[in-house]
Amino acid sequence: MTDDREKILAAIRRSLRGTDKFDAARNPASPLTSMPQGDFESQFGKFKAELESLGGLAEALNSDADASEFIAEHTGPASSIFIYNEIANLHRSLVESLSESRHVRFGLEFPVGYDKRDAAAFDAAVTGCAACVAETGTVVIRTDMRLPAALAPKLFVVVDSGQLLASLDEFFTDSFGNTDASNLFLITGPSRTADIEKQLVKGVHGPKEIVVLFINQ
Amino acid sequence: MTELKSRNFKRLYKKEIADQKLRENLRKATIQASGKRNDSFSEVDFVFLRDEAKKIKQESISHLNDLLSQFEDNAHENGCTVFYAESPEKANAYILDVARKHEIKKIVKSKSMVTEEIQLVPFLEKYGIETVETDLGEYIIQLAGETPSHITAPAIHKSRTEIARLLHEKIGIEQNDDPAFLTGEARRVLREKFLSAEMGISGANFLIAENGAVVVVENEGNARLSTSAVKVHVIVTGIEKVIPKFSDLRIFMRLLGRSATGQKLTSYVSLIRGPRKEKEKDGPEEVHIVLVDNGRSRLLGTDHQEVLHCIRCGACLNVCPVYRSIGGHAYGSVYPGPIGSLVTPLFFGPENAPDLPFASSLCGSCTEVCPVGIGIHHQLLSMRQEIKPGSKHGLESFVFRNFRKTMLRPGRYKLLTRLARVFSSTSIVRKILKGWTGYRDLPQLPSRSFREIYKSEGGKG
Ligand code: SF4
Repeated sequence: MTDDREKILAAIRRSLRGTDKFDAARNPASPLTSMPQGDFESQFGKFKAELESLGGLAEALNSDADASEFIAEHTGPASSIFIYNEIANLHRSLVESLSESRHVRFGLEFPVGYDKRDAAAFDAAVTGCAACVAETGTVVIRTDMRLPAALAPKLFVVVDSGQLLASLDEFFTDSFGNTDASNLFLITGPSRTADIEKQLVKGVHGPKEIVVLFINQ
Repeated sequence: MTELKSRNFKRLYKKEIADQKLRENLRKATIQASGKRNDSFSEVDFVFLRDEAKKIKQESISHLNDLLSQFEDNAHENGCTVFYAESPEKANAYILDVARKHEIKKIVKSKSMVTEEIQLVPFLEKYGIETVETDLGEYIIQLAGETPSHITAPAIHKSRTEIARLLHEKIGIEQNDDPAFLTGEARRVLREKFLSAEMGISGANFLIAENGAVVVVENEGNARLSTSAVKVHVIVTGIEKVIPKFSDLRIFMRLLGRSATGQKLTSYVSLIRGPRKEKEKDGPEEVHIVLVDNGRSRLLGTDHQEVLHCIRCGACLNVCPVYRSIGGHAYGSVYPGPIGSLVTPLFFGPENAPDLPFASSLCGSCTEVCPVGIGIHHQLLSMRQEIKPGSKHGLESFVFRNFRKTMLRPGRYKLLTRLARVFSSTSIVRKILKGWTGYRDLPQLPSRSFREIYKSEGGKG
């Protein structure tokens, strides 16, 4: 089917003929009236406060072993947990100790074009992230499998403390804009709705619980 | 396109305004929403953000041709197919074509105003393709066989009891009006739809010219699934959604969530750069972007061009005293409220919505909250002049003409105020003014005027 490209572009050109072109000089200042100091403690404090005000959870831990213990404590003994490749690669000891007490499966086990029902079978998913934003309590994820993190009722995000950004100004820059992945998701708190009488309910289609674990490397 | 209901505004609003319960639901919901909006701006400078957003939108629209071409080139490079559609018919036909090519039987859809505008869902269903709305509010509305009554809160007019009854009747769940229970049941039913559908349809909030990314903003996670858990993803949006830079999102993202629902950032922002890459194990194999014109290019270069800056946050609806009283359905358009009163006649022709620009008290609350600085009430005023030059709006122009004459002639003023004092409390006057007195008391006029009292106390008249 041929489209109306030429027609529409010509109509736009015609309508705009003779009108002034407007070029906006961007004001680089930050619109924020208060921001945490540059050190990790205050930025983590802001991140935690924001995420927890939305019903999420954020912890700063010292090691992979602590993270594994934390995840085990927050999932039932019969839980099945999906582990993303990057966690399996970068946090080997976390995965090893978690697999002793929980049933875990790895991204590596899934072929390209796997059956999506297989991704819907998990109680929790553990993923890494591309960045976190203190201003809003946001995690940014970029993965080779979109579904496990979107379908599991609980999402654990393991972050290296260096990945924490102070504000959205630092995220919306070329280094993230030019990613070569097909997708980048900003997740701010549990999935939610207020479609019934404006009453807030958490956990609609996405995770009901979101836990962000910073590991001090 | 079939005749629009917005032609019948006068009949529709009378029906809605008489519904006390609807007005109560709306009043509560809109007051709560605008209160949250106001609170959420405490940490950022609203005026700074609004002025930046307005500048960026002005730039985007004045360079629309170049930006669309740039977006298109980059989207192609990312592996997407871009299709321009001048009319709803053309857009719908293309989407049907895509669905047929892949032998699609089931589609999951997330919220998109443009798909409402082009009536995509009824069109696809006519051809036997099940198309399920997956946003909870939209799902409720679809089950009820209704249309959304708000841009961001489609089921705002329904109470929890009505929703519980509806879900009980339509999908057989236990009748329980707890919102958490109802949401959980809807999640269960819709999860199965996501797992069995092969095509997903979404809208787009922004198109980024410099990298071809499509930005989809939502709270529930249904758009994320509609764009991820499918083989084919179709994005349907208007040509005016393109903005120049990825970094411009630092402005728009801070405005959109706050203006819509009082959130610092909406729960999910999906940045979509095309179909799955070689190393990715899931995600759509094809991404189609349908850019709809449907009257938008006609607005360029006119005084109404700035209407195209709208980011569909819905804040102007929540503060509008008219919307709060009559609700979205009274407008008879997919775009209700102050912005709908502009967009409907502009997109669909003034003959289809001759009364909508008059559905405003011109109080200016809409303009005050608009995150992209659209002079909504000024626009409404000038639309009135265009639709009904000289504002020959029956009774209104008669009253104002005579008011002017009366104020210019003291004799006539004295006579009329005397008559008003005598007749204002009679039942015949109350009957004539019943549209007003049905909801409020008529002010009592004193038996003597100030002049008469002044004279009788010895002053000079
Ligand atoms: S006109 Fe302004 S306030 Fe109304 S929906 Fe559009 S952007 Fe929001």
